[in-house]
Amino acid sequence: MNAGIQPVEPESIVDFFAQTLPFSELDHASLVRLVRHCLVDFFPARTRILRRGISDITGLYIIQKGAIRLFMEEEGTLLDIRSEGASVGALSLFKDEKAAWDAETVEDTFVIQIPRQWFFDAVQRHPSLSRFYLRSFADTYLSRTFEEMRCKPVSAHDDHSMHFLSTPVADLVSREPVSVGFGLSIQAAAREMIRHNTGSLLFREPCGSICGIITDTDLRKALALGLDTQAPAETIMATPVESIDAGAVCFDALLAMMSKNIHHLLVTQNGQPRGVISSHDIMLLQGRSPMSIFREITSRTSIAGLYPLHARLTPVVRTLVQQGARAGNITRMIAVVNDQILVRVVELLEQEFGPPPVKFCLLLMGSEGRREQTFATDQDNALIFDNCVADFQERAAEVYFSAFTERLVEHLVQCGFPRCPGQIMASNARWRGSLEVWKARVTVWTSTPEPEQVLASSVFFDFRGLYGHKDLATQLRTHVTEACAGRDLFLRYLAADCLKARPPLTFFKNFMVEKNGEHKNTLDIKARGLLPFMDFARVMALRARVRETSTLGRLEQVQAGGFLSRDLYHEAREAFEFLLHVRLMHQLQQMEQGRTPDNRIDPGALSALEKRTLREAFGVITALHGVLREEFHLNMG
Amino acid sequence: MLRQILNYFQGKHQARTALPCMQDNNALARAMNQDQALDAYVYTVVDTELTGLLARKEEIVSLAAVRVQGLRIVPGEFVYTLVRPAIPLPKISTLIHRLTPELLVDAPALHEVLPEFIEFCRGTLLVGHHIGLDMRFINRACQRLYGQRLANPCLDTMRMAMLWRDRNRSSQYGQFDTRISYTLADLAEEFGLPRFPAHNALGDALQTAYLFIYLARKTARTTPLTLRELYRAGQRWRWYV
Repeated sequence: MNAGIQPVEPESIVDFFAQTLPFSELDHASLVRLVRHCLVDFFPARTRILRRGISDITGLYIIQKGAIRLFMEEEGTLLDIRSEGASVGALSLFKDEKAAWDAETVEDTFVIQIPRQWFFDAVQRHPSLSRFYLRSFADTYLSRTFEEMRCKPVSAHDDHSMHFLSTPVADLVSREPVSVGFGLSIQAAAREMIRHNTGSLLFREPCGSICGIITDTDLRKALALGLDTQAPAETIMATPVESIDAGAVCFDALLAMMSKNIHHLLVTQNGQPRGVISSHDIMLLQGRSPMSIFREITSRTSIAGLYPLHARLTPVVRTLVQQGARAGNITRMIAVVNDQILVRVVELLEQEFGPPPVKFCLLLMGSEGRREQTFATDQDNALIFDNCVADFQERAAEVYFSAFTERLVEHLVQCGFPRCPGQIMASNARWRGSLEVWKARVTVWTSTPEPEQVLASSVFFDFRGLYGHKDLATQLRTHVTEACAGRDLFLRYLAADCLKARPPLTFFKNFMVEKNGEHKNTLDIKARGLLPFMDFARVMALRARVRETSTLGRLEQVQAGGFLSRDLYHEAREAFEFLLHVRLMHQLQQMEQGRTPDNRIDPGALSALEKRTLREAFGVITALHGVLREEFHLNMG
Repeated sequence: MLRQILNYFQGKHQARTALPCMQDNNALARAMNQDQALDAYVYTVVDTELTGLLARKEEIVSLAAVRVQGLRIVPGEFVYTLVRPAIPLPKISTLIHRLTPELLVDAPALHEVLPEFIEFCRGTLLVGHHIGLDMRFINRACQRLYGQRLANPCLDTMRMAMLWRDRNRSSQYGQFDTRISYTLADLAEEFGLPRFPAHNALGDALQTAYLFIYLARKTARTTPLTLRELYRAGQRWRWYV
């Protein structure tokens, strides 16, 4: 090239690639390289581009402007209409076959063609490209959508570029763990900690494995209790040491700390100790801390003091979203915080009422049971108590628990959990009872399936024990698993009920929205999108005798049990998490605008990328229904 | 003759020498077979930004060309450069193409970039939107520097657009519709083409290339069209040779 001519690429075409999946993942230099070898072609409306089984695929077509219809002429079926930014021919390229479909332009269409050779050149350099084209519901693609949603501006705090939640725990470890052998006195241990300037000290067994830990808190307790400083340190040591794998992300570490009420975790790699992280390390990484709410919950000594804490979740969740946490993690986090509030309320209430006449356990059901709470969560709880040995004990239990649950529900309303419109609350005598009563109920539900019974019970099957003697909940769960095992008829009813919920897509894969009324042009993402997944997971979990209650956990175990293919499991998980995310973002936005959160989203307000992902997510529902039909032989109906 | 003498005195530091690639190009251009289908030719889509519209005294400030082959745009093959004009840059032109005198200070002069540009056009058909104007400027420089003009046949997308409109006009009255615009941006809008930044030589060249393949494919839709037929169809085609 002459010195005179500047080597500037046609930026506009590079820009087009930069905005088109999956090329948007590529760096600028690679895009320039690609643009150098591509061709721009134009086809007037209704030009046949490909003939199925006849046309050679000479390259990948990316639609710059216009639309292409994919169909099978012989069968007369329409497969898809691809529009701007979509591509045609990738699969055939990878398979090295003739065109798999007939293709025709719908309108005047400009396409950018990447010749075969250069497409594969790019694929070799960027494996992400093949991943995009070969996976029907790709991770990368979703995360791009998540990214886009995450960046939607609302909050004033937009400077959270740090993805602390996805930081591997190993990154927090700054040094080797400080450990000592047995035989030190408390004072010597404290001296050792000062010498190393550390807040925690590990204890080694003679064989070298870590068996205990002392932290600042333990020393403080020892002082408060007036222990002899020359006493062996082992007396105040906590054991076993909670540990976390170095590959886990900080979010998991945070959850582990919060649920176990501890502040130090041992980081291990291949079973070997790598270091110790504290809650402080994590807090330093982040801005607004979920930990701070958690602290406040445990420190409140009156129930009224707990009332405002639920509302404090909104900014925390916003922070989490900005920091890149995914919906599954966020709802789990909301569940942990809500659990803590509930536990604290029950604890304080129990102090007020005095000890109960028999052992009891508070059960959470529905979304709380599945740990999938968002902001608009109402109460779904029940109470189970131990079998009574005598008549008077039974009456005492009835009096105690009816008053107890009545107050509990009241307090929870004040805390920001509205009453359940279906009266599924422990204050309702139908949702309270001894273990035997509950077992009898489950037996009735599973053996005489009538539609109302099925519907009434479906929420129940998501129960988990929250507070009290959790073995009562465990026993009940065992009973449920056994009761369902032999009852194919009952499960068939549940499955048939699932099939009633059709994915909200029209024939041409547009979104079905409400045509009129108050909610015109909106879509109930919970009823139409999320519920089918939850219902599916519930039925299949009962079928596969899975005790887990969260939808994602159930799906995973159902897949492990061989009831669901790996691919479909993967797609379902991604789709569910995406829908959860859309819902969460929608409610977050409403909360920040001071409105009452609901589940009605307007598909028109979503970006093109979100719409496309949403459409694919709904598509997964049809595939899941296919599994149900197969599993429960519902094809005849 | 007078012009040549004047040019000779003006360009005394630039000897008027025949350029080998220029002669090569012109020989190829004159021998071009006009009876092939449109997609058999190689095209060079040209656009320039100017200091003004009068070829006699204004100058080129930016020059771009994009390759079209088989009626497909090859975005990887293109030339684009800024050009330092010999005359002061009028403010009014800066307002149009956003090229400031400062930007052009380090740009090469036209005689430095022309050889490569001619090499790029070698033996191809030239295409442009109202290409007559661009060619007047380019040929004036060629004449002055190398003593001959480019012999490449030219296609004007503006005339092609007129032709296309004539064919598709639904009523006779449309002929007198004064609202009809033939600017590049308006045509691109009307035909629904992908848009590129206007008044940037490369952007306009690309935009013209899109317009060209659109019109060429549309016009040749029903029957394959040869270059000669296209010329005949647009009776007012001129050869800017």
